[in-house]
This record gives sequence, C-alpha cells and structure tokens, in this order.
Amino acid sequence: MKFSDETLLAYLEGSLDEAEARAVENAVADDSALESRLMALDPFAPVVQQVFEAVPAEAPSIDLPAPNPPQSGAGLLRLLAVAASVAVIAASATFWATRPKALGWAEQAAIYQSLYSSDTIAELDNPPQRLDAQFALAEAQLGRSLNREVLENLPGLDLKRAQVLSFKGKPLVQIVFADAQGEPFAFCVIRQGPDAPAKDVNLAVLSGLATATWARDGYGYMLLGSDGQTDLSGELSVLTDAFTG
Amino acid sequence: MSSEQAVRGAIQTHSKRVWRFGLALSGASDIADDLLQATALRALEKHHQVTSYERLDSWLMTICRSIWLNEIRARSVRKAQALSVTPEAQLVAPGPDSETNIFAAQVFTQVMQLPEAQRETVMLVFVEGYSYREAAVLLDVPIGTIMSRLSNARQKLKTVMQHDAADTVRRSGK
Repeated sequence: MKFSDETLLAYLEGSLDEAEARAVENAVADDSALESRLMALDPFAPVVQQVFEAVPAEAPSIDLPAPNPPQSGAGLLRLLAVAASVAVIAASATFWATRPKALGWAEQAAIYQSLYSSDTIAELDNPPQRLDAQFALAEAQLGRSLNREVLENLPGLDLKRAQVLSFKGKPLVQIVFADAQGEPFAFCVIRQGPDAPAKDVNLAVLSGLATATWARDGYGYMLLGSDGQTDLSGELSVLTDAFTG
Repeated sequence: MSSEQAVRGAIQTHSKRVWRFGLALSGASDIADDLLQATALRALEKHHQVTSYERLDSWLMTICRSIWLNEIRARSVRKAQALSVTPEAQLVAPGPDSETNIFAAQVFTQVMQLPEAQRETVMLVFVEGYSYREAAVLLDVPIGTIMSRLSNARQKLKTVMQHDAADTVRRSGK
C-alpha cells in the first residue's frame, strides 16, 4: 500500500482515524523505507532533539579503574607502555578517520528530493489555508520569513507545499514546486546557527539533480532542479536577492 | 584495538547519551549520574562479550536500562513515592533569548512528565535518532508499541508546540 506524505503527516499529527493509523503502523513494520520517510517527516522530533541535545551541558564525569598498569618499575616495561598507548591513539585515529564520511545536509536533501517524481507532486494540491499553516509552522521552526510572495511568483513554477524536515536536529524546510512540465522542483532552507560560515553560490549535480547552494547569516539555502540539466539561473537570481540573510 | 579499549572509548564517546537515557528512565539527574557510572563499570566488566564495535552505543543503552529495571528502579520508586517526576528544567542550556528559554523549558517539562515508557521511547527516537525498529529491539517491544507510544507522546507535546509556533510567527511580524 502506498501512503502520500500528506497521509504520513496526518498520522504524525494524530488526525487519522484509528483504522488508517493502524494501516500506517502495520505497513511501517514491514517496510523500512516507509519508516525512514515517516521519521523524516516528523515535525516533533527536531524540536525535542534541539532541547535535549545540550543536556547535560558538560560531559558527565565517570570514574573508571585504570587500564592494566605495568607490573614493575622496569624501564623497558615503561617504554612498552608508552609505545602501547601511542599505538592505541594511532589505532583510534585510524578508526575515526576511516569511518564512512557523513553526508552533509545538501547531499541528504538531494537524495530525498531525487525520490520525487511528477506523480508525487501531481497529488500535492494544497488549499490556501493548508499552505498558510505549512508556512506558519516552517517559519516558526526556522525563526525567519520564507518570503512566500517571492516563492509564489517565481516564473514558470507552481508552489505546491512547504514541509519541515530535520537534519541532525536542525530544522530543514523543503518547499516543493511543479515546473511547467509538471516535474518537481524544490527550494530548501536550513537553520545552521549564528556561527555557520557564509558561502557563495556553488553549482553541483547531486543525486542526479542540478543544485545551487549558498549560505548567509546562519542559514543554508539550496535550489534543486528536476534533473541534472535544469537551468537554475532565473530562479537563482531572484532567490539570492530575496534570501540575503 | 582490544575490546576493552573499544569499550572504554565508547563509554567516553557516548557518556552524554547514556546520561540522558538515564535521565529519561529515572526522571532525576542524580540517578542519571549513578546509572551512567554503573553502566560504565558493568560495560567494562563485560567487555569480552563484545564481538562487534559497530553499535556499542545501543549496547550501553541496553546495559543502562537493565541496571535501572533490575537494580535501581524499585529503590527509587520507594524513595520518590511512585516516580512523581519533578522536571529539572534548569538542565536546559540557556538560549539566545528569553522566549526561546521559556519554550525549551516547556518542551523539557512536557517530555519529562510523560509516562516512563513514552519518555524512554521519545528519548531514543526523537533525541538519539534510533529508528523505530532499533528502539523496538533495544526496549524489547514490538515496533507497533514504539509507534503508538510516540503517537501518544506527540498528542501531549502538541499543545505546547502549537502554542509556540503561533507565538514565533507573531513575533516575526507575519
């Protein structure tokens, strides 16, 4: 059974009836891709995470018995102990350095967006009051305006939906459009915090989609076309003017 | 790297997560301190049981919960007369402005006032990022139970969050 993002959001908001909610839960039990989608859409998780990730403020102290100390004061043993601890540090460093590289928010957002097809957005017709609520929630999470009037008037694009996702506890808003051919197009904004460095526009093809990313004043922005060849320049000039900070 | 070194490393790396889980289980920061300490010692004793260094975090969480359920819970419940949790909202780090602080304290309080089963589930999934099925294994319940606990928790968190969303939008002048 297929569930639209709207149905999943309604489940998360508790507005499905009992039978529909059970259907979602039963399907999730057998389908880990659906589980990931549902978790990514959960508007509660990023808020709770943000509050608790700073608790406790400092790493709590733990008393551990010392690792097996050298048995005697012999110089050679002491040297061996030093060599062993250097080896431990080297092994730990290798362990950390060879972990799989974590994907950044833009890569993750591109992977998610690349799953959208024209069919996904064909069903996304939100009445104005629903869009109002989506923008209110998204702007509250981000703590900034999304310049809705600019987004509604992007030439050739039809505004479909704004939804709140989360990346490592940071609110990430995805705004979906349909282009003139009915193909998906998206603009994402993430709140990175006041210390995040500003970045100039960078064009790249990620997960098969043409993208433009930039960052200003603690927010990251990303524009995603419908395929690897999409020309983003028109939208980009409007959006970089509108989202200067 | 030996299993003992791996376990020592994991204890340091995940100390905050285990402490938070201890807080979610017990509802009290002094018990969370004890739970973390006991978990660390128990994990070191059992280091030879570790066969994979992959998910030592969930292994530590499981140890922490088992110590809570088998050794500390009954004692704490007797002491506190049935775990009436007093949320320690001062644990929440101060944010950029007072509205943010008030909101964070409300969310913290609301989470800490959830029943224990919902609280531990919210902590594992919302805060620590475990998937529903990982949390189901860790808590030894069916995945449907995880989802219904989260649904119940969301209903209780909804009031404080909706109130705040309306507030923030009003403040930003929209």
